[in-house]
Amino acid sequence: MAQEAHGAIYDLLAVRGVSRRDFMKYCGYVAATLGLSEAAAPQIAAAVEKGAKLKPALWLNGGSCTGCTESMAQVDTPDVATIVLELLSLNYFETIMAAAGEQAEKNIADTIAAGNYLLIYEGAVMMGEDGNTLLVNGHKGKDILEEAAAGAQAILAVGACAVDGGWIYAHPNPAGGIGVQSFLDSVKVATPVVNLPCCPTSPEWVVAMVVQWLLVAGDDPAVFLEKTALLEKKYHDNYRDADVSLLYPEYIVGSTIHDNCPRRGHFENGEFVTEFGSEEEAKGYCLYKVGCKGPQTYTQCPVTRWNRSVSWCVNSGAPCIGCGGLNWVDNNAPFFKRLSSIQMGGSLGNVQPGSVGAVVGGVAAAALVAHGLGMKAAGRIGDGPPIEEMKAYDRKRMAKGGDK
Amino acid sequence: MSSQAHYREAHPLVFVITHWINLICMIMLAFSGFYIHYPFFDGFMGVARGMHFVAMFVILINLTFRVIAAFFVKTATDLGSREVDTDIKNWLPQEKNKHQFFETVKYYLFLRKEGVISAKYGSLQKISYLATVPLTYLMAYTGFALYGPTADWGFFMWGTELVGGPMNMRIIHYFMMWVFILFTMVHAYLANIYNFAPSKIIFLWKETEH
Repeated sequence: MAQEAHGAIYDLLAVRGVSRRDFMKYCGYVAATLGLSEAAAPQIAAAVEKGAKLKPALWLNGGSCTGCTESMAQVDTPDVATIVLELLSLNYFETIMAAAGEQAEKNIADTIAAGNYLLIYEGAVMMGEDGNTLLVNGHKGKDILEEAAAGAQAILAVGACAVDGGWIYAHPNPAGGIGVQSFLDSVKVATPVVNLPCCPTSPEWVVAMVVQWLLVAGDDPAVFLEKTALLEKKYHDNYRDADVSLLYPEYIVGSTIHDNCPRRGHFENGEFVTEFGSEEEAKGYCLYKVGCKGPQTYTQCPVTRWNRSVSWCVNSGAPCIGCGGLNWVDNNAPFFKRLSSIQMGGSLGNVQPGSVGAVVGGVAAAALVAHGLGMKAAGRIGDGPPIEEMKAYDRKRMAKGGDK
Repeated sequence: MSSQAHYREAHPLVFVITHWINLICMIMLAFSGFYIHYPFFDGFMGVARGMHFVAMFVILINLTFRVIAAFFVKTATDLGSREVDTDIKNWLPQEKNKHQFFETVKYYLFLRKEGVISAKYGSLQKISYLATVPLTYLMAYTGFALYGPTADWGFFMWGTELVGGPMNMRIIHYFMMWVFILFTMVHAYLANIYNFAPSKIIFLWKETEH
């Protein structure tokens, strides 16, 4: 450990058999090869502080479950301590910062005042009750975001909640949770927002964006937007009743989970799991029939995978619940059904499209049978009814005296 | 109405064929569609999807051909008549159907006894047949919006965003299939309620007198 305490960051990596160049390359691709022990963090910090340039950043939590933070703690290469200390100077990060109370709040103000910082926002922007559904130190969460966003060079909206409100946004959304981009539209802050979907977001994606920002874009927002392949997706924010346009990294949301799924072969073969705990499940068959939303969820989860690339939802036997989509809870619940239910409201509750189809088809068939019996009773079957001699319209007109 | 003779002029051979193609494709599409919606037996997904795509292309080409042919092929415009005119005349408003829409509705609701005077296609019938043309294209649009290779085309992406995402598009695609099923049920019922002479001419091209 003595060596680590005094060496530069690349020396530390070299100790683990990775050159700095290799390491940066890996970061760029968010590859997963090596985990650094968090126990080394203080030594790394000591080393980095000597020379490395730190990028000031704020990690703010809105209406969130801190799941994305938890997810970050699982990041592979570099590990969380490395990002915090080597790449970013996270001046505020509720869950892991050492500062507390006034000092912590002062760190936000100081960072905003100094400018040139990145903002990472986790969780929904809470608009309900005029923003009082989220208070931090007596300030409304939305006001803190507005101030921090206005001064930031760019914003990473991490996790489904920051993207469009996530599950907080789901019907009936009493807390008024909305996405970062939608909120910034409403307060006319034009800072670019890059959205990283899923519940929680993938730590590798966050790291990839940070690396992209620092190494590829050279800390320049214009270069970042130009050099990062971004995909635009639009949705309608029902809470604000406004159309919102989101920017995503294309390589993260460019293809469906279905496209890259390791169970795809079983899908094409028509080999499905019909119930959990069955022989088919043990064989690793396709989870389509138990509600997998992979075919309409655009993320590359099967490629990066999760938990240090060990596995991911579908790999571990759970159907995709579509958390990478927009308005994902309303659009994908119930999670174990093929299609989402339609929210009928009132006593009808939520109804499956299949039930609606069957009822409509059944009623129509019954109506036709009843009508057919009526036709028979009316004596129309066979040759059909006698046809009128003259149209009803003409008869009436004739009765009135015909044309003038 | 159906006491009329059914002559080949009502449905020339080319339209008997397009009708057959429509029927076969619709059955294939509905069957494979139901299977893709929920695979009710194993081992068929690859075939079902292939069937769905092939039948879709065939029915689109067939429909487009049918619409164009309406401007060139001559068909009878009156029931039980051998007198022919360009087929498109059947699809435009006709003198014989004028003022007859609500009378037709009344007839089918048993609110009047006598059958109504009409052209080859009554007003109600004509509207529902015509509706299947944009409906089929719309159905194809929703399908392409779901289909991997085309889903990210701007033209289809626009619609997906409009309806609130691919899941909603899938549900719309599914419900529209029910619209076609309902149409087919009502169509088959009304065409054959009096007797099977209309089926003999459209399927077997067999004429019936009276």
